Amino acid sequence: MHSSFTRLQNVFGFFTTVAFVLGAFIAATDLGSTRSPSGVIKTDNIQVVKGRPHYYSSKKEEYAIIRFSLEADLSSLFTWNTKQLFVYVTADWTGPGNTNNSAVIWDSIITNPSADHLQNIGPVAMKKLKRSAEGKSIAPERGILKLKNQKPKYQITHPSGKIAETSDVTLKLHYNVQPWVGLLTWNMDKSFGAWNAMKGGISDRFTLPALKSKDSKDKNSTKNKTKSKKP
Amino acid sequence: MSNKPLPSQLDTPHPNHYEEREAKMFAGLQNPRNFAAQLMNFGLVLSTAFMMWKGLSIVSDSPSPIVVVLSGSMEPAFQRGDLLLLWNRELISETSVGEIVVYNVKDKDIPIVHRVVRKFGHGDKAKFLTKGDNNVADDTELFAKGQDYLERTDIIGSVIAYVPFVGYVTILLSEYPWLKTVMLGIMGLMVVLQRE
Repeated sequence: MHSSFTRLQNVFGFFTTVAFVLGAFIAATDLGSTRSPSGVIKTDNIQVVKGRPHYYSSKKEEYAIIRFSLEADLSSLFTWNTKQLFVYVTADWTGPGNTNNSAVIWDSIITNPSADHLQNIGPVAMKKLKRSAEGKSIAPERGILKLKNQKPKYQITHPSGKIAETSDVTLKLHYNVQPWVGLLTWNMDKSFGAWNAMKGGISDRFTLPALKSKDSKDKNSTKNKTKSKKP
Repeated sequence: MSNKPLPSQLDTPHPNHYEEREAKMFAGLQNPRNFAAQLMNFGLVLSTAFMMWKGLSIVSDSPSPIVVVLSGSMEPAFQRGDLLLLWNRELISETSVGEIVVYNVKDKDIPIVHRVVRKFGHGDKAKFLTKGDNNVADDTELFAKGQDYLERTDIIGSVIAYVPFVGYVTILLSEYPWLKTVMLGIMGLMVVLQRE
């Protein structure tokens, strides 16, 4: 009854219970903090070019390069339980057969200072990042984004290889809060408790332009084909 | 102080409580009834854990509702050894872009945890493309030969909750196989030595 084994067992059991309750408590505090994200997103220059999915591929596909401007205030998403914020912009459109299509064109990982050391960046950038929030464990100011004529990180296409002249495309701002412990949360369409739905964050509808011949990745082979498409 | 309990003692919960400590230690071995009870107890613990796992599996509709992160491809969000809770039902909305999913690739047994970055179409015919936050390129290279996109059936769940570090012990166990033997030995010893 009072062997060293049972004592060890009791200590371990108590430890796990305490850790679990503490974790649950920390996770629950998320629900109490107000979230009021907002954003304005606009498209800038849009191009559609021909290219290959990767260097050794012979397949030719159309790629849309959508530049955009974004002003967002996601500062309320940073709390003591926020490990990182994953911010991403999707292009959404309805394809033939009423299918929904969605593709990320840009994303960014914004860590809370408590998770800065986990970022996969060079030593110089790391020093700069750490200095930007010295002495702080929560940095809401990092949630304020101002991007102008931002180049997309990802050029998007469709499995059919055709994307030029697609109409009714919208850009949408999304976020994913990664906690230190607890539930992962995304932007919501409807408000829930203290968490408000995103204000704005959707661009006006736009149409992708026709294929551009000059910016195509390998001019020589596509020149003849694309020239004929020029108006 | 005989090792065989008297018939009247068989029904009492602590037949040997007056014995010396040394004798107690191995009571389980010498008393077949005690030994059987301990074996049953051990079986009960195992089957409870198994049923909880399977129950969770039914609730979440996922063959593996809890997974341990094995690689750093989703850093800084997930580190090796972190525990993820999965949900595989599309109750409110379909699996969409931005969700972090766990998927299996044909002929590869290691499930991969990555974020959905593209989705074309919906329902059963939807095509998904995934990418690790910490990776430069998307997952096309990780897929099977000739496979450009995932289907919904390849996905075994979306990450809904996160607990750091707890799963690290399983990584230790798979990387240092002798730890398994040690743990099994300790568990076996406990079954034999433990009373009640």
